[in-house]
Amino acid sequence: MIKGLLDKGAIPVLERMIQFAAERHRVLAHNIANISTPYFKPKDINTDSFQESLREAVSRRRTHKNPLAGPLQVPGTREVQFKDGLIQVRPSFINENIMFHDRNNRALERIMQDLAENTLAHKSGIEMLRNEFDMLRTAIRERV
Amino acid sequence: MFGSLNISASALVAERIRMTTISNNLANQNSIYDAKGNYAPYRKRVVVFAPGDPATGSKDGVHVRKIMFDQSPFRQVYEPGHPNADANGMVKYPNVDPTMEAINALAASRAYEANITAAEATKSMLQQSLRLLA
Repeated sequence: MIKGLLDKGAIPVLERMIQFAAERHRVLAHNIANISTPYFKPKDINTDSFQESLREAVSRRRTHKNPLAGPLQVPGTREVQFKDGLIQVRPSFINENIMFHDRNNRALERIMQDLAENTLAHKSGIEMLRNEFDMLRTAIRERV
Repeated sequence: MFGSLNISASALVAERIRMTTISNNLANQNSIYDAKGNYAPYRKRVVVFAPGDPATGSKDGVHVRKIMFDQSPFRQVYEPGHPNADANGMVKYPNVDPTMEAINALAASRAYEANITAAEATKSMLQQSLRLLA
């Protein structure tokens, strides 16, 4: 990472957001893969608590003298930890819906909805990151 | 991200095996002899899934753990003239219920579709990430 170029402004925040969406996508794909596995219980990562810790990280950075350039320290939650820029997740069980006879409490509609939402979240993160890169490119070219 | 494609692919393989088993059950719903020509009615096969994928050694994904025999009683048909009829004139036929098989086939194909959707989502996410470089 180029210091002062790629660790400023919104880029680190978007990076965390995309990392989270990619990792959650893996969890959701695992849930869909095991839609008919007996004794399987779907897992998920709570988006609200992640958003909360991201918000906390951003507002903590704002207390610095130079609000945009400070390092982004995302406080770890029980489910999501960031270490050396890499994400580690520990998904927890979704204990909703009824238990079927094969001891699987699947909810296909819920999982597919989560998948669609997560894909869109990833897409919006990517698009915003793209805009940031385009701005950098414009600055480098010194031409609009 | 590439791991997510592996997960969906393992599920596609597992669901396809399930579908093959269902086709096999339907095809053999009247087979009362085994491959060697002995009188032994076909027993319905059931696939059992378990999480994890031994093919890639990953904890994520799904695989077919076992193909088990359905131990429910055979269908009894009254055919006194049949060479394999017992003292009461009953012949044992496979314990395959075509209606159940059709429902299971539908469930398997829907699960397959769900995994295709997940794989498509993974692909579009990957493609968008790659577009960042261009």
